[in-house]
Amino acid sequence: MLRFILRRLLLLIPVIVGLTIIMFGIARLLPGDPVALAAGPNATQAEIAALAVEYGLDKPIWVQYANYVSGLAQGDLGTSLLTRRPVAADIKAYLPATLELVFAAMFIAVAVGIPLGLVTAVWRNRWPDYLAQVSAIGAISMPRFFLGLLLQLCFAMWLMWLPLGGRLPIVVIPPRFVTGFLTIDSLIAGNWNAFFMSLRHLALPAIAMSLSPLATIMRMMRSSTIEVMQQDYVMTARALGLPSRKIITKYVARNAVSATLTVIGLYFGWLLGGTVLVETVFDWPGLGLYATKAIVSQDMMPVIGVALVIGLLFVFANLVIDLLYGVINPKVRYS
Amino acid sequence: MTTTEHNIADDPGTPRRDRLRRAFFRFSQSRLSMLGAGIVTIVIFFTIFGTVLAPYPDQVAGSVDTASRFLAPSAAHPFGTNELGQDVLSLVMAGTTVSVLAGFGVVLIGSVIGTLVGAIAGFARGWVDEVLMRLTDLTLTIPGLILAMAIAAALGSGFGNMVIAIALSWWPGYARLVRGEVLAAREEVYVTAARALGATPKRILFRHILPNVVSPIIVKMSLDMGFAILTVAGLGFIGIGVRPPTPEWGTLLSVSRSYMPDYWWTAMAPGMAMFLAVFGFNLLGDGLRDILDPKARR
Amino acid sequence: MTASDQFNISRRSLLAMAGVGLATTVFPRRLLAQSGGVLIIAAGQDIPNFDPHTATGYSASFFMRNVYDPLVRISGNPPVPAPGIADSWTVSPDGTEYTFVLNKAAKFHSGNAVTADDVVYSFGRALKLAKGNSWMIRDIVTAEGVTAVDAGTVKFKLAAPFAPFLQVLPWIFIVEKAVVEANLGSDAGETYLMTNTAGSGPFAVARAEVGTLYQLARAPEAWQAGGGNLEGVIWQIVRETATQRLMIQRGEAHIATDLTSEDMDALKSAPGVVSIIEPEYRTFSIKMNTQKGPCADVNLRKAISYATNYQAILDAAGYADLMNGPLPTGILGFDANLVAYGNDMAKAKEYMAKSAKPEGGFKLRMFHVSGLEQQRRWALIMLDSLKQLNIELEIVPMNWPDMVAACKSPETFPDLFPVYQTANYGDPDNIAYAAYHSSRNGAWQNAVYKNPEVDALIEAGRKEIEQAKRVAIYGEFQKKVVEDAPDVFGVLERRKLAMRDNVKDYHFTPVASNAIEAWGLSLG
Repeated sequence: MLRFILRRLLLLIPVIVGLTIIMFGIARLLPGDPVALAAGPNATQAEIAALAVEYGLDKPIWVQYANYVSGLAQGDLGTSLLTRRPVAADIKAYLPATLELVFAAMFIAVAVGIPLGLVTAVWRNRWPDYLAQVSAIGAISMPRFFLGLLLQLCFAMWLMWLPLGGRLPIVVIPPRFVTGFLTIDSLIAGNWNAFFMSLRHLALPAIAMSLSPLATIMRMMRSSTIEVMQQDYVMTARALGLPSRKIITKYVARNAVSATLTVIGLYFGWLLGGTVLVETVFDWPGLGLYATKAIVSQDMMPVIGVALVIGLLFVFANLVIDLLYGVINPKVRYS
Repeated sequence: MTTTEHNIADDPGTPRRDRLRRAFFRFSQSRLSMLGAGIVTIVIFFTIFGTVLAPYPDQVAGSVDTASRFLAPSAAHPFGTNELGQDVLSLVMAGTTVSVLAGFGVVLIGSVIGTLVGAIAGFARGWVDEVLMRLTDLTLTIPGLILAMAIAAALGSGFGNMVIAIALSWWPGYARLVRGEVLAAREEVYVTAARALGATPKRILFRHILPNVVSPIIVKMSLDMGFAILTVAGLGFIGIGVRPPTPEWGTLLSVSRSYMPDYWWTAMAPGMAMFLAVFGFNLLGDGLRDILDPKARR
Repeated sequence: MTASDQFNISRRSLLAMAGVGLATTVFPRRLLAQSGGVLIIAAGQDIPNFDPHTATGYSASFFMRNVYDPLVRISGNPPVPAPGIADSWTVSPDGTEYTFVLNKAAKFHSGNAVTADDVVYSFGRALKLAKGNSWMIRDIVTAEGVTAVDAGTVKFKLAAPFAPFLQVLPWIFIVEKAVVEANLGSDAGETYLMTNTAGSGPFAVARAEVGTLYQLARAPEAWQAGGGNLEGVIWQIVRETATQRLMIQRGEAHIATDLTSEDMDALKSAPGVVSIIEPEYRTFSIKMNTQKGPCADVNLRKAISYATNYQAILDAAGYADLMNGPLPTGILGFDANLVAYGNDMAKAKEYMAKSAKPEGGFKLRMFHVSGLEQQRRWALIMLDSLKQLNIELEIVPMNWPDMVAACKSPETFPDLFPVYQTANYGDPDNIAYAAYHSSRNGAWQNAVYKNPEVDALIEAGRKEIEQAKRVAIYGEFQKKVVEDAPDVFGVLERRKLAMRDNVKDYHFTPVASNAIEAWGLSLG
């Protein structure tokens, strides 16, 4: 098992190399002049050239790449041309916001999707099932940003029940940085006010993010439950007259969940990269908003950094899911 | 999942026309699929005729009427007017053409690239397979929207560039699918037979293997259509997309966002159009998957 | 001063705010009444970094105006120089020597007095780094030209006479030499000052959350006269203007800086909100490619100038005023009697007839910054206007870096190129030099336009000290430029700020007014 983990972790290295090469290639494609922009509207040609030298952008691309990789080994993700801040520090500030949003969305999706899937499987081909199936396709078809705007319009602008955006009201002092998740950190600090406030801010963006994975998880859960229910051992249990509630909770749910896990793992990565639009709508200070701003100003270092971090998290999430399989289904062997 | 119905579609002994007829029958039995087909028909109708039928075709081409800005929905303007006095209904109708064609372009280019990569990898095997599949996995790791945004920013705005940018992050799914199908098909009896008869690898690939992977590709394309439209709109929403005056749903929505809540109608029409089109394609895709790819059906 | 010191400064106000936080759980909408003397500004721009000699943008200007001090500030409407660190100053008759007497009370946050040495050091550092605002004094102030006469007096010997010298001084801020020297690193203290401060301003950094908010707290050492009752200021980053407007409406912010005309209309009847809609020196015009392509022909440029639907431009801009030439209305030397281009199709056709292709039938290209809604609207209006001359317009939205890159040569410059130009200092030289002097060719403010006569006038204007002569020079300048028609002269967009009515003692100054100076304000 340990060897399995180590081997998978070693596989991260080619991912890092490949990712950075691809992103560097795109950076090379850029026609604009980010240095001139960073130097400001009134800079002379000499000043622009000096800035390019300062950031090593006058060197050939492979030298730039080599410098980047050697910095990477020391945890240095380069410096943003525009803000002149180190990218690693920025990502440290923005990543927790994105992760908190993704986890909250995943939590809603799993907590609602799995029971719904079970229920619709049991009620298969009756009207609640049909209704749920249509709604699920509807949920998947709903553009997240449009849903976000509708939620905002309804609950934040008209009803004024929930805040428009951001993570905390500014007058609330954020709890001390432990995990970067405001909800968890404020619990650690015992600050109930901050906890409720951060939940209120989290609600709308998390719902907007969760709808599509919720629907997918529900459908996956429904179909794997149907499959499991037709397995011999379930048939046998039924024939033996075990109460159906027991059959479902004890045998069916457990096996169906393990099949649904893969989807959850895939969705985690998808959500990480997909927060961009929701973060834009809710002014959520996360990686997506950070990357968007950098892309628009062709400030490539932050973009490479964000792609790298999300890519690694994606690979990592799949590793965790593979390990979880073993916990739920001991028959799985790691080789 | 063991009813005899689906097996018929799989049975190579059944004459093709007969198979099609049965497939169509099954499809028409599913109310949801028919609803999807209905919506998609309407969407395609507007894709072709949206620009022509728009009540204010001049405004689709960029004319403005600043004297009648932000009119609420009325008989003359069922979805109101926007910040430049343009008729929102006209823009949304013409926007269908842009969004659906862009979505189709993405899926088409993505599937062509993916099929080529997958077919070559599956057929060549060895180190070629290894390299291509590592590249595929790698592209899958990069968050799609961020990759598309970066490429689109690099290429500059415009319809074609936007489609290419998204397509370049869209192919890996097809590559994996096709490679799997090719690997499986290689072991089929008829392929072994063809090889034994001395058919060249090229002939085997194009005559025997690819035709058999067509139906899973079509299913995936139809399932992807909706998401491609969503991604196109997402890019437009962020502000990297088509050039004005081209009306595109995502761009329309992003502009109207600043006018909420007072002029909410400018956002409703493009948003609902987007939702309906994607909903239609997803229903249709689900239905197609059920009849064309019974293995995937649950 | 270390970062942790800074965070101690405002413990008092932080505690006050924590109390408010508790209260907001129950009454989230009644927040401002209890914000404990902290002014909340909702603004769209993140503060890039804290270094007064490298950072740019209005967010950075806000930061520097409140955390640092310049020698001279600017205030009033029309704006006039006011004492900053310098108490008083004298100018030699030829306008090349300025002597500043520093305020003896001036103190850095560290408690040390501001000395002439610090001033000399700061100008040296700004010139050496050659970033941020240093372009304003480039070729005018040299490192050798700034000397400390004694601890409380600084003398500037200018390399050339420069009439608006006092107008640019508010943008060069003074850092504490000892603090910077102690943290020099390998980059003149750039790394250190990026996240730390060494200023003497009335406020100090209390809390910084990148991309979210920056809280300043009244510095205990604040020595400036005329302060209000503010405990602190929060610069909250709110990217959507509609959100800013809702925050003002609901009382979740005191001042919003980036509102659109539609937002201002929506706020008209909102109770407790004060709208400030004032002309500011912020011009919008559409530059034409005077070097390459069809627009190199002055007749076509005039035809376009006459065909433009100015009323639509004004409608789309909302609170704005049409311009009649290159200079903003009301600035020194502005000629109100200048005959402007108007929407006149007869004249447009007349000039079109004199051009190379009187029948039209060709295509022009216009770039605009993608995401800048106002520019997109104007591009569509140009498309509509040019149709009447049978000219097609291809509109290309671009990232700002691409736009900047396109300005490098006449070959890459598009036919039409919209430009916003904000006066950093209230003098005609600012706009005239940046937007029409040929030495700026290749930069976005004036990529291609070149006229030796205009160059000569601009140079004469910046060297001349006498007011009346300057007015005459700039009068001539405006006539020449209008005759050349290098731009479609557009509008002066008015500054649109919204405030809660409990913000007291606010006085509008038309120079970078979105970088709010908080010291004089009070909350009632």
